[in-house]
Amino acid sequence: MSHSDALVQELEAKAKVLVNDCLDQFCTFSQGHVGGTMSVLEIITALYFHHLRFDPKNPDWPERDRVVMSKAHCCEAIYAALVELGMYPRETLRTYYCHASPFQGHADRWCTPGIDFSGGSLGQGLSFAAGLALAEKLKIKYNPPSRQDTFLPRYIVRYNPKFRTYCILGDGELHEGQVWEAAMFATKFKLDNLIAIVDYNKWSLDGPTNDIMPIEPLVDKWKAFGWTVYEIDGHDMHQILDALDLVSKQYGDNKPKVIIAHTVKGRGVSNWEELHMHLGRGEEMMKGVREGRAKYGDLE
Amino acid sequence: MATWNKHVAIGEPAMTGKGIGKAIKAAFQKDPKALAILEDMQFPEIEWFTDNMFDRMIECGIAEQNGACVAAALAAEGFTPVINNFLFASMSRAYNQIRQSILVDRFNVKFIAREGVWGEVGVSHATVEGWGSLRVLPNLVMLNPADAVEAEKATEAMMQYIGPAVIKQEMSPDPFTIFTQDYPFNIGKAYSLRDGRDATIIATGYMVTEAIRAVDLLEKEGLDVGVLNVSTLKPLDQEAIVAAAERTGAIVTAENSSDINGLGDAVACALCENLPTPLVKVGVEDEFGQSGLVTDEKDELREHFALAAKDVADAVKKCIKKKEALR
Repeated sequence: MSHSDALVQELEAKAKVLVNDCLDQFCTFSQGHVGGTMSVLEIITALYFHHLRFDPKNPDWPERDRVVMSKAHCCEAIYAALVELGMYPRETLRTYYCHASPFQGHADRWCTPGIDFSGGSLGQGLSFAAGLALAEKLKIKYNPPSRQDTFLPRYIVRYNPKFRTYCILGDGELHEGQVWEAAMFATKFKLDNLIAIVDYNKWSLDGPTNDIMPIEPLVDKWKAFGWTVYEIDGHDMHQILDALDLVSKQYGDNKPKVIIAHTVKGRGVSNWEELHMHLGRGEEMMKGVREGRAKYGDLE
Repeated sequence: MATWNKHVAIGEPAMTGKGIGKAIKAAFQKDPKALAILEDMQFPEIEWFTDNMFDRMIECGIAEQNGACVAAALAAEGFTPVINNFLFASMSRAYNQIRQSILVDRFNVKFIAREGVWGEVGVSHATVEGWGSLRVLPNLVMLNPADAVEAEKATEAMMQYIGPAVIKQEMSPDPFTIFTQDYPFNIGKAYSLRDGRDATIIATGYMVTEAIRAVDLLEKEGLDVGVLNVSTLKPLDQEAIVAAAERTGAIVTAENSSDINGLGDAVACALCENLPTPLVKVGVEDEFGQSGLVTDEKDELREHFALAAKDVADAVKKCIKKKEALR
């Protein structure tokens, strides 16, 4: 099931374009969640530019795959993808964080077509994603009642869109108890149409995620909750594409899937990698932006 | 005996939960997209549990935060999820989930939430502060019906309304039957049970019953007191409140919950901004709930928290004195 080198190279090039778009956003106020955004960029690229059923001209298409960005502080990565897909003009990147901009500081479904989930308050995304996945199942499962009941409509108009739901979680976010409530829920309702992706960049705001509150053994935890688990290098485009293909093919096995993607916080910019930078600000930030510009090329 | 306006016919006590349950059942029969989100806390008076609706009961277990976000997502996909639980569990426990995942996006999730001063359940379940804590949340319609008739009509209206809404299933003794079947309930509209001359009791939920008792007590003392039923806390019917203040010049608010950030504070703000009027609040004063025995003869908690008819009547007399002092 391997993918052609040409495709991988194309997506890797696209990921670099997204890096540049993110740098643009970081520049607006010399501020941004650089660490988690840079660590998830290849995954976002693979999703939006190859894997997802998503129509930029019709972002509310009922059959689109849903993307729940639970670690919504890294929505810069998705904004970059939406710009590259032509949904928003490039100038919008420079309005990131600004009043009345569709590119709010944390993703906001209400004011940003293309966004499926208003995240930012961590721990809620997997529950929301599970609800979306359940909705898809309900539409399939629902049958008009067999017994005659005059109160119930004789016909039930049901449009049954088929879609998958992808939920991107941070590793620090797994400290939230609600994530594990949702993990139980997804198993109970056999949500094989739900795919969680953990951006396991090992660092949270205060320090190493596993020092703050150990989440290991992570694979065993998900398995114990009834999930099928895959582990990949979250910066290796081949592995990302293979994993996404694999989980999609297992629709019908009654089990939710999780891809644990090992990543590097602040990936691609030495300064940010060294500092495991979560929220970039001021001069440290601009130093990284300059390095990123030099490395990935300012496309403007 | 006091006289009442058109749609009022005071009768025997009846459980408000029955009215809610009747309307929920009807709504579920009418709309196949209505779903029950269960959190291991079903009450017998809410009768959505019929065989042919079994696949519309989503049991989430005792995981209310997850339940709220699942409901949000189901609403996002066009369903109408209804959550029925104690307010402290479904709403206070999941406060931020409701804010972030439901209200920000105006998702069509309905809550039937139990709260109030009542019974043996104790401080954890007999919460009084949750209702007020919801008032600050944008996009949430808040309903607190006064009797079983209004409860049915309010629930029906809530299910027809598209957007997030909560109806309080008040924990209290059963209120009087107050309204006639042709009572016109509208979300956001207060209803004057009687207009009065000397003062107006602005009451909500179960306390409308105590207000009705208070009117009779006060009539014996020669006072003509009006009652305004404010069953929608949000959006608040400011017009009716200001009109009542204009008419009587003395306002007493009565609610079966904390008097902080509830009806009393909402009315006080509306009047301060529009028509400053002497006002006395009746409610739980900055205190948690607790256990207490309720029998036909005695209601220990109503005594403890001073939420009985005589307390409302005392508040009215106090308020009328304030009014006279201003003259």
